[in-house]
Amino acid sequence: MTRLRRRFPARVYEVGDEPDPRFSLANERTFLAWIRTALALTAGGVALEALGLGLQPGLRLAASVVLVVAGTACPLQAWVGWMRTERALRQNRPLPSPMLSLPIGIAVVVVGVLLLLAIAFR
Amino acid sequence: MTGGRSPEEPTAEAGHGAGAGRAADHPFDRGLQPERTALAWRRTALALTVGALAGLRILPQLFGTWAVIAAGAGVVLSVAVLVAAHRRYRASHRGLTAGRLGSSLPDGVLPAVTAGLALAAALAGIAVAVAAAGAGGLLHR
Repeated sequence: MTRLRRRFPARVYEVGDEPDPRFSLANERTFLAWIRTALALTAGGVALEALGLGLQPGLRLAASVVLVVAGTACPLQAWVGWMRTERALRQNRPLPSPMLSLPIGIAVVVVGVLLLLAIAFR
Repeated sequence: MTGGRSPEEPTAEAGHGAGAGRAADHPFDRGLQPERTALAWRRTALALTVGALAGLRILPQLFGTWAVIAAGAGVVLSVAVLVAAHRRYRASHRGLTAGRLGSSLPDGVLPAVTAGLALAAALAGIAVAVAAAGAGGLLHR
C-alpha cells in the first residue's frame, strides 16, 4: 500500500499497526462525547450566572466557576485521551483510563453541594 | 459497542481484504459504526454551532464590538466542522468499503480543531460567568 499522505498527529500514527477501524471509530465517538460534556458544563455555568435564579450570589458564582473550569478541562481530556487510546490501539496495549473523569465527577458533586447551599442561604 | 460481537466476525472483516471489498453502496460494518460516528459528529458540531450563536448574542453585550468577530469566527468554524465531518464520513466509508486502510482513513486534524473550538468556548464561558457576576447578571440589565 502506498502512503498517500502523512496523518496528524505523527505522535499517534508513527507507532504500531493499523487497528480494527471499528475500534478507532469507537475512540472517536468517546472523544466527541467528552466534547459535548465540555459544552454542557460550560452552558450550565454560563446559564447559572445569566439567569441568577434568586440564589445566594457568592455561592452561585462559585458553582458557576467550578462548572466552566470543568468545562475547560474536558476538551483537554478529550484530545489527550483520544491520542493515548489511539496509540494503545495501534500497539495492542491495554487502553488508558480517563485521567480527568474522577476530578470532573468531584467537580459536579461540589457544584451540587454549592447549589444546595445557595438555595438554603438565599 | 456492537452487542458483544467479536471483532473476528466475518461481516465486519469483509471490507478488509485489499481490493476485494464490497460495493460502496453497502455499509462497511453491520453495526453501522461509521454511520453512528457520523451522527455523533453531527450532534457535536450542531451543539458547537448553537453555543457559538449564543456567544454571538451574549459576548458583545459584555465585551463590546470586538467580541462579535470572535463569536462570528466561532459560528463559521462550527459550521465548517459540520461540513468537514460529513466529508470525513464519506472518505472513511469509501476507504473502508474499498478495503483500504492506513493513510486513506481520517486522522486527528478535525478532532484537534474541534477540541480547540470547545476549549475556546469554555474559556469564553469563564469570561462570561465572571463578567456577568460583576454586572449582576445578564438578563437583569
